Amino acid sequence: MSVSESPAAIEINGLTYNYGRAEAVHDLHITVRRGCCYGLFGRNGAGKTTTMKCLLNLLRPLNGSVRIFGLESARNEVEVKRRLAYVPDYVAFYPWMTVRETLDYLASFRAHWNSEIEKDLLERFRLDPSQRTSALSKGQRTQVALIAAVCPEPELLLLDEPTSGLDPIVRREFIETVIGAYQESDPGKRTIFVSTHLISEFEGLIDEFTIMDRGKAVLTLGADQARERYQKICARFPQQAPEIEFKGALQTRRNGRELELIANGGSAEILEQLRKMAPESLTSEALTLEEVFVATLK
Amino acid sequence: MLLQINYKSGKPVYLQVVDQIKAAAASGAMQAGEPLPSIRPLAEDLRVNRNTIAKAYTELESQGVIETIPGKGCFLRPNNSPLKKEVRRKLLIDEIDQVVVQAHHLQVAPDEFLNLVRERLEVIEKKKRANEQENV
Repeated sequence: MSVSESPAAIEINGLTYNYGRAEAVHDLHITVRRGCCYGLFGRNGAGKTTTMKCLLNLLRPLNGSVRIFGLESARNEVEVKRRLAYVPDYVAFYPWMTVRETLDYLASFRAHWNSEIEKDLLERFRLDPSQRTSALSKGQRTQVALIAAVCPEPELLLLDEPTSGLDPIVRREFIETVIGAYQESDPGKRTIFVSTHLISEFEGLIDEFTIMDRGKAVLTLGADQARERYQKICARFPQQAPEIEFKGALQTRRNGRELELIANGGSAEILEQLRKMAPESLTSEALTLEEVFVATLK
Repeated sequence: MLLQINYKSGKPVYLQVVDQIKAAAASGAMQAGEPLPSIRPLAEDLRVNRNTIAKAYTELESQGVIETIPGKGCFLRPNNSPLKKEVRRKLLIDEIDQVVVQAHHLQVAPDEFLNLVRERLEVIEKKKRANEQENV
C-alpha cells in the first residue's frame, strides 16, 4: 500500500465533548495528512486541549470518532500510542528521578530509541543528566519532554501548547529541534499536530491549520492559501475616503482620507475598484497566520 | 547566499525560495557548480518546514536550475535551460504581460517603462560583473 492510499495520520469526525453542561468541543472535523504539519489554533479555552486529550484517549468523546492511522484510539490504545509521542503544555516527571533516569524510564516503554539524537539534544539544550527533575525550570522540563518525544522517532508528534510560558530562546530551540531532529529521517512519514495560540513562531512550519473558537472549527485552510487570500489593503485619497462597502471585506477602517480594509479573497477586484477612485497611494500585503487568526476571531 | 522569507508577500514560501535562488544565479551571487545549502540546516535557519525546502529544490531541479548529485547534495547548474527556446519565450512572455498590466495600473507610460527595464537590466549586469570580479 502506498502512502497516498494509506489512512490519514489523524481523522477527527464529528467530535463532541462536554464537561458537565459546558460544551468544550462541538462537531469537530479535522483530517491530517501524513507528513503534514498541522496547526490547531485557538484562544485559551477554545477546546484545543480537550481535542488533544480525545486523540490520546485520555477523554472519551461524547459523540463522533477519532482515528489515528485509521485506528480508533479507544480500541487500539497500545498500537496507537506506540506510533505517536506527546508533549503536553504542563510537563510532570517523577521529582526524585534525575534527567538520565527519567529518559531511561521513558525509553523503557519504547521499542526504538535513537540515543544519538538524545546525546545531541542533551548537549544542545545544555542539560545536566545528573540533575533531579524537581530542580528543572519550566523550559528545561519542556526540553526533557521534547527529547523523550523525539528519540523514539514516532510517526506522529502531538504538541499541546508546547511553547507557552517559555522564554524566546527556548521557544526558538524547540521549533528548530522539531524541524531538525524530528524531521531528520524520512520527513514524508513525520506528521506534526500542534495546538497553540503562539502562532507566529510556528508560521513557517505549518502546512495547514484549523482555527477553533468556543469548541467549533471556524476556519480550515492551507497556510500558503491563507496568506494569498487574506490581504490588508491600504489606500489614501486626496479627499475624504469613500464611504462604500467592499465585497469580501472583513473589516474596514476609515480615518479622514485614509482607508484600510482586510480582504477575505477577491483582493484583486477590491484593488481594481479602489484604483478607479484615483487614490494617492494604494498598497496591499498578505496577512500573517497570526493576523488571519485575529481577523477571523474579531 | 542568505535567504529571507517574507510572510507578508502572499507568495507561497517554497516559491520565495525558488525565486531567490534563481535571482542569486542570475546576478552571479551564486556560481555554476556551487553547492546549495542542505535541506536540514536551511530549514532550521529559516524555521520553515523541511518539506517546503524539499519542494523548492524539486521545483528548481525540474526547471533545470540545480542538479542533485546522489550522496553529495544539490548544485547550481550552468545556465542552460533544458526547455526549448519557444517554451522559454512563452514563459517569459507570461511574466512580462503581468508587469505590463501592472505598469498600466500604476500609470507608468510605455517609454518610461522601457527605460525602467533597461535600467534594471543594467543593475543586474553590474551586480553580475561585480560578483565575477570578486571570484577572479
